[in-house]
Amino acid sequence: MKRLPSVLLLIFFFVFIVISPQAEAGQKTDGKPDGGTLNYGEYGRPATLDPITSNDMISMRITELIFNGLVGINEKQEIVPELAERWEISKDGKFYTFYLRQDVMWHAREEEDPVPFTADDVIFTYNIMMHPKTTSSMVYMYEFIESVEKMDDYTLQFTLKRPILNALAKFSFKVIPKHGPENQEFLSREDPFAQKPIGTGPYMLKNITADREVILVANEDYFKGRPHINKFAARPFADQNIMSQALLFNAIDMIVLVNHRDIPQIQGDKRYILQPYNALSYSFFGYNMRNPLLADKRVRKAFTYAVNRQEMLDSFFNGQGTIISGPFAPGSWAYNLDVQPLPYDPEKAIALLNEAGFTKGDDGIMVKDGQKLSLTLKVPIAKESEAVKRVVLAFKNYLNKIGVDVEGEFKEWLSWKEDVFLKHDFDIIFASWVFDDSADISSLFHSAEIRPGKNNFGAYSNPEVDGLIVESKLTLDHEKRRTINRKLHAIIADESPYTFLWTLTNYAAFNKKLRRVAIHPYKFFSFADDWFIPASEQR
Amino acid sequence: MKLSSIRPITLLISKELMITAFLLLGVSFVIFIILFLSPGDPFSAMVKGQIMSEAATKGASDALVVPDAWYSQYLSWLNNMLHGNFGTSTRSGLPVLREVVLVTINTIYLTIGSMFVTLLLAIPIAVVSARRGMTPFTWPATIFTYVISALPVFWLGYIVIYISMHQFGLFPLAFGSMSKKFSWIYFMLPVFVLGLGNGTISEVVRYLRDEMERVFAEDYIRTARAKGASIWKHSFKEGFLIPITEIIASKVSFILGGAIVVEQVFNWPGMGRMAWQAAQDRDYPLIMGITLMAAIIVRLGSLIQRVVHIIVNPRASQE
Repeated sequence: MKRLPSVLLLIFFFVFIVISPQAEAGQKTDGKPDGGTLNYGEYGRPATLDPITSNDMISMRITELIFNGLVGINEKQEIVPELAERWEISKDGKFYTFYLRQDVMWHAREEEDPVPFTADDVIFTYNIMMHPKTTSSMVYMYEFIESVEKMDDYTLQFTLKRPILNALAKFSFKVIPKHGPENQEFLSREDPFAQKPIGTGPYMLKNITADREVILVANEDYFKGRPHINKFAARPFADQNIMSQALLFNAIDMIVLVNHRDIPQIQGDKRYILQPYNALSYSFFGYNMRNPLLADKRVRKAFTYAVNRQEMLDSFFNGQGTIISGPFAPGSWAYNLDVQPLPYDPEKAIALLNEAGFTKGDDGIMVKDGQKLSLTLKVPIAKESEAVKRVVLAFKNYLNKIGVDVEGEFKEWLSWKEDVFLKHDFDIIFASWVFDDSADISSLFHSAEIRPGKNNFGAYSNPEVDGLIVESKLTLDHEKRRTINRKLHAIIADESPYTFLWTLTNYAAFNKKLRRVAIHPYKFFSFADDWFIPASEQR
Repeated sequence: MKLSSIRPITLLISKELMITAFLLLGVSFVIFIILFLSPGDPFSAMVKGQIMSEAATKGASDALVVPDAWYSQYLSWLNNMLHGNFGTSTRSGLPVLREVVLVTINTIYLTIGSMFVTLLLAIPIAVVSARRGMTPFTWPATIFTYVISALPVFWLGYIVIYISMHQFGLFPLAFGSMSKKFSWIYFMLPVFVLGLGNGTISEVVRYLRDEMERVFAEDYIRTARAKGASIWKHSFKEGFLIPITEIIASKVSFILGGAIVVEQVFNWPGMGRMAWQAAQDRDYPLIMGITLMAAIIVRLGSLIQRVVHIIVNPRASQE
């Protein structure tokens, strides 16, 4: 991920509340003023602007403005109609029939008449997504679909391989036009469409300047009504400190993710609003259980007791976050609040190590059967690595106090990934997972995922956990699934394959002139067509 | 200029171009090997962020028709390049040649501009101290150039940005979509910072001063002085033009390095920023393009220096 290189992104679409479909009004009648420009700062530049080949957060935020899905999600995380005005789900949960809106037009390209949106576009998008030559890993998210069939121009039916819980939310994938890409079979980043996309969304791509600033303008014919703000400009920054200064200097109006170090400065300024949003992610120290020293759960637990997580969070991240106890992100429905994070207790840690058969050697390092408890910690170099460096150093010191020798090693992102996921050459790693919703942790802890390139890098294996994961995937009952996940949480917390650290609170910062700002946790601009700037403050 | 003086220059240029061609071939090969041996590859970077899978990576590589063996990858790249096709960036899908030329113009502007700033500061100090020796002016000025040269350029960049914001109320970053008055200031600041902070001022002063002092001590200058002719006119070519072009040529690569840092701090869309991004994404075609361009620029610097040398001193071409 571009924004946080120390983060691995898992996309498991999942939304659990389903409401009855209801089409929205065609025109905005809220009486709010149109006009104004929103310049927002991004840390880096987008790669591609189509929703299929792009895989960085910067591009994802832009595609959110340009495109729509069949269904969308509202501010209460409920599924609402978007390109589909209504849908029917068969009783056995295998057939999803979508009735499309008939008043949607694609953004018009120069010297081209606007083309209406039809069922063909949806089928085209699906085929492109699933084509093996398409540069995308979306194919894994949509494997559950067996086939799609066009009933008429505005009706289509998806057949699922097997019924799955909350499949509806997955139909929020962005639809691209059939007349968009040059290559009608598959989409690569070389296709001109990747740089000059057209969609159905509230904003249209106007141009990309020489320094790759992306300019979007309001779509006057947007089917939900013209968005209020006239123009969006994504300005790329190469330096985060400068980006915060740019906000304070009104050179930009919004930062989508504020550097934690700059929060106090922006907080103290009345001209700006800091808005927290939950990104469903967490950081952890992960252990390689292939190392016999770490295979003992008492050792791993001792490490967790030995680190003072609250102190690290307070001093390195201004306390902007929550300490966690298990494998789900807090804020997710699957998180088990009954499991408390282990307290900071170095004596308990030493006791646990002694219990596991370790004794303090002459040099103060714990020894068992002549083997020193001396480990390597591999950390990917992140762009904003200052806080990470401090965490790593603190971890080293905490473990030193209980007689564990930790050698920290910083590695460049891709070579770190190779060491950890392919060669399994590490003892401990520091990393983060990002989830769309953390309900699915099967790829992290199921023993079938212990293979090069898979996500269970630490070779954690527990038949009971495997069983629960499978059960949770198969069940169609939400309450039952919740119970299973709570149990999973408790077991994994106890087994400590990771030392779970914290979820950091993300903050967006923006100028007070922006009104009615609602932010989607990871797509960010989902509700931007409702944002507005009072006439007096448009400049 | 007489024809006889053009001939050695064309001869030199054609010779240099040949050497350059071989040099570029070597550079491209070495870079390719380094890229090939370094961990990671562009295809897993393209599908990164999501679940790693061989199939997705394979699909991406199939779509771009990448040969399997490393030598055929290099040869196909080389073949395409000789036909003027530098490929497309794996990250953005845009043609490499256009992308690289665009950023090169920005970087060259930054580099040449900063060189002028350096010379503007260094030449007076060098000339005065060569002519007058250590005086109450030249002594502190020389010390000053040493201090300036020792400052890290990124630090200087931040300081200048903060000062310009808080003292002058200017935000010194330019964006394509901005059209404001004083926009030239936005372009001046990075040039100014790199000119001061690239670490070459003190070297230019010292080298130029030594060369001038040496030339001033030559017999022909003494003769000129005895005749009452202009010393400046007599010493200009050997004591001024040649040392300056020499030092510039040798510092081109150094200034390019400093430009990378300045580009980061000032958000300048140049080669350095692009190279940094390309390295992170393992954007092989783009990395190759940028390295070749950098090699060409450095080579061009030394070529210009030699051409100047021959124009000044035609005998040099016969050596």
